[in-house]
Amino acid sequence: MTIEEKEEKTQEKWEVQLRKGTLELVILAALQHRTLYGLELLKLLQSFKSAAITEGTLYPLLDRLKREGIVDAQWVQEGDVRPRKYYSLTTTGHHKLADLITLWRQSVFDIEFLLAHPGPDVLPVQGE
Amino acid sequence: MEQCDMIHQYLKELERYLARLEKAQAQEVLKEIESHIFDVLEQQQGSGQVVDAKAILQGFGEPRQLAFAYIAHITDGAPPPAGFKAIQKVKQGVTATLYYTMAAFGFSIAFALLFVAGAKIFMPDSVGAWSAGNGNSLAIGFFASPYPADQELLGAWFIPVAIFSALLVITLTRKVLRVLKNNM
Repeated sequence: MTIEEKEEKTQEKWEVQLRKGTLELVILAALQHRTLYGLELLKLLQSFKSAAITEGTLYPLLDRLKREGIVDAQWVQEGDVRPRKYYSLTTTGHHKLADLITLWRQSVFDIEFLLAHPGPDVLPVQGE
Repeated sequence: MEQCDMIHQYLKELERYLARLEKAQAQEVLKEIESHIFDVLEQQQGSGQVVDAKAILQGFGEPRQLAFAYIAHITDGAPPPAGFKAIQKVKQGVTATLYYTMAAFGFSIAFALLFVAGAKIFMPDSVGAWSAGNGNSLAIGFFASPYPADQELLGAWFIPVAIFSALLVITLTRKVLRVLKNNM
């Protein structure tokens, strides 16, 4: 394995971890004041580079969120098409989203702060 | 249609692996996934794309793995609702008691039957099955003074019948124990 390949792999790993960590927030955000069925939600997520997940990840996750009372699901039959299961946020889900948003913004704020202050002035930089 | 077969086979396999869920729950999972797959297929057909069931199924992953994601909360008892843990504990205690009681009960009956069968070989006159009280009750076993007036029912056949019954009891006990163990 060359150094470039190794670096690429590490980066990929980080990306996977990041996506995993933010997935719940992403799904809750997508369902904010919106009711979507699985395929719709999947396509929406896949249209974002950082949120592209597979069917096999999405559906069990929705199942868990439903069990935890964060989302609600309802089968809807429209005309001749087969019934679809629509998901929406519950009150608990909205609270959870608010909590996650706070954490997310704090995280972004902190990281951005670090990035904006490279040193040597304000913050001590290790190794210098 | 080959594509449909592939999908049905996938769903069938998934259903098998979802067996640990309640039936209604498993059916709901299957219904949703089926709805998704056929939705995509129809959209592909509608827009003149190549219909590719295999690619869709690939997104869901292996049936076993997909099912595992759905039942993981059962296997590691993750997010139980408040107050649920205590019930689970009690249930587990009851199951354990039931397990050992069942084991003791089943195996001692089987052992007794085998013992009686063995005894019949050595003491054919005082061991056997008798019909008593004009056929209103059946006495099987080991008697110092066999039931008077009533006839012994099986004679030498008592041995294979007792052994067969013992084996049957052992098999049934083991089956029941296996089910109980899965719920412990």
